[in-house]
Amino acid sequence: MNIPAQRSAPPNGARWLTQALEAEGVQTLFGYPGGTIMPFYDALVDSRLKHVLVRHEQGAALAANGFARASGQVGVCIATSGPGASNLVTGIADAMLDSVPMVCITGQVATPLLGTDAFQELDVFGLTLPIVKHSWLVRSVDDLPRVVAEAFRVAREGRPGPVLIDLPKDVQVADASHLPTHVPAAVQAPPAPQQQAIAEAIAALAAAEKPVIYAGGGIALGDAVQELRSFAEASGIPAVLTLRGLGALPAGHPQSLGMLGMHGTRAANMATQEADLLLVLGARFDDRATGKLAEFAPFARVVHIDADAYEISKLRSADVAVPGNVAQAIAALHAAFPAPLATHAAWRTRCAQNREKFAPRYDAPGRHIYAPALLKRLSELAPADAVIACDVGQHQMWVAQHCRFNHPRNHLTSGALGTMGFGLPAAMGAQFACPDRTVVLVSGDGSFMMNVQELTTIARCRLPVKIVLLDNSSLGMVRQWQELFFAERYSEIDLSDNPDFVALAKVFGIAATRIDARDDVEGGLAALLAEPGPALLHVAIDARANVWPLVPPNTANSTMLESNPAHARQEAPNAIPA
Amino acid sequence: MQYRLDLVLHPAEGALLRVIGMAERRGFSPQAVHGAADATDQGRWHLQLVVDGDRPPETLCRQIEKIYDCVSVKVTALQGVAA
Repeated sequence: MNIPAQRSAPPNGARWLTQALEAEGVQTLFGYPGGTIMPFYDALVDSRLKHVLVRHEQGAALAANGFARASGQVGVCIATSGPGASNLVTGIADAMLDSVPMVCITGQVATPLLGTDAFQELDVFGLTLPIVKHSWLVRSVDDLPRVVAEAFRVAREGRPGPVLIDLPKDVQVADASHLPTHVPAAVQAPPAPQQQAIAEAIAALAAAEKPVIYAGGGIALGDAVQELRSFAEASGIPAVLTLRGLGALPAGHPQSLGMLGMHGTRAANMATQEADLLLVLGARFDDRATGKLAEFAPFARVVHIDADAYEISKLRSADVAVPGNVAQAIAALHAAFPAPLATHAAWRTRCAQNREKFAPRYDAPGRHIYAPALLKRLSELAPADAVIACDVGQHQMWVAQHCRFNHPRNHLTSGALGTMGFGLPAAMGAQFACPDRTVVLVSGDGSFMMNVQELTTIARCRLPVKIVLLDNSSLGMVRQWQELFFAERYSEIDLSDNPDFVALAKVFGIAATRIDARDDVEGGLAALLAEPGPALLHVAIDARANVWPLVPPNTANSTMLESNPAHARQEAPNAIPA
Repeated sequence: MQYRLDLVLHPAEGALLRVIGMAERRGFSPQAVHGAADATDQGRWHLQLVVDGDRPPETLCRQIEKIYDCVSVKVTALQGVAA
């Protein structure tokens, strides 16, 4: 049979856009076609862009989000107008709150139909105003070159974030033969920190006796990982990390006291509560990190270094404000402190002792698989550069506590928005960004079902994502809070009617195994990681397991629970000794 | 506490919504809006937005400065306390 020659797409707005995306360095984009975006999908036929067809637009937004987190490059997603656009919203919001660079493109009804309640017309421009760095409704094809260049610049520049381009159908089909070849806009680095502010920061550090580095997501965003490590090692100053800062110092680094906050380590929370100086590097005093803000780090002066000047003194007044380039600021501090100060020696010793004294234990009693031990073993068995994505809930905190990250970009976690359903599409996006690396998804039975449809995308693309599904047959974090803070009045947390996850994975063509005994953990993990293609390990865990330690909401980080005080036989709630 | 924000905005779609929305989301309620496009300044909007709130106005200013279409913003404390 003769196959008719493919007709090339005309030089219209849609075709110009595909070429502009290529010029911006985009190779992969995630999307789902529909009525008003069809001219763009027609242009894709002649494009070098690799389009990944997801099964729900939220999967597209979160896959682009995971792609961007793992690579540091701009993630691109695309959807049609109306429900296609509104389905992107959660993934865009997630990117906004975690400073993830994304360009989101939506089809829109033709400009004459705007404002007429046309089929699948939705004001996505208005809908997304609070959750984008900026957005454009492109009313003329002549605006495309400026808008696309600005969209990528804004997404990348300064504190990264998502932008939206809403593209009416008539603009996509308009003649674009007169438009110039696309040239990406230059991206400005954050301004250098002011010398006076650096001098004040140095003086504050020199005067302190109990300084603590408090490092967050801004370290990776500012490409300051190496600067932080060099400075921390030279100065000897103990460091605590936020959820999104994990990996800024490699796991096991002697100066890293681990994560601070609600599910942080006792050593980290003790250090911040006792410190006389907080050196805040690319962090923003999030409530999950600070606990009750008024009682956070009560003795500390604050030196706050951040590329986003707005974050400085937003929640905690800074004694020394250093807006600007985080990597340059840290390098300047390093130059001033090439060796540990003797005046910090006693403090360094105390922090190191606490780190050893309060290290997590993995010899939990009982017969159930102990999730923290499994996750510790998982990250030991996986390659050192493996990307580990997770969803949201108890397993997310266990991943943060017990997996060992050597770089923040190896840890994909929905920090600020806490998006259940984030993990599977984010892992998918990360595997496209890092095709030669191991990508692991750790999920829970609640979160997993929120974007389970993307299993078929993983199967179709033969993405070798390794899935560890921790199944407690309940919404574990909600159950834990109901147990601890709502008098054990359990409400709508029972998921004991979950599907058979092994059978489910196999329906999608994905290898799957179930384990429910501790003796099976080693073999189960080894077999999972040895699978050449996608695979799922279904892990049954104790439905009553809780995440410890825990700082109860709206209390000081000095109040850490190690067990349910209502059930504890021997231990009272463990307040940090003064 | 009431404050007047003197704003210069690019005359772009959504610019006014972004500024008012930012003020409201960050804890300041709009009390009055005055202004118009200024033909002598490339058609930019010169606006005065009066807001009421208990939070530091400087942080709101810095957040509004981040809005793409914001050319400049200046804050002035006004007399009076909101109901």
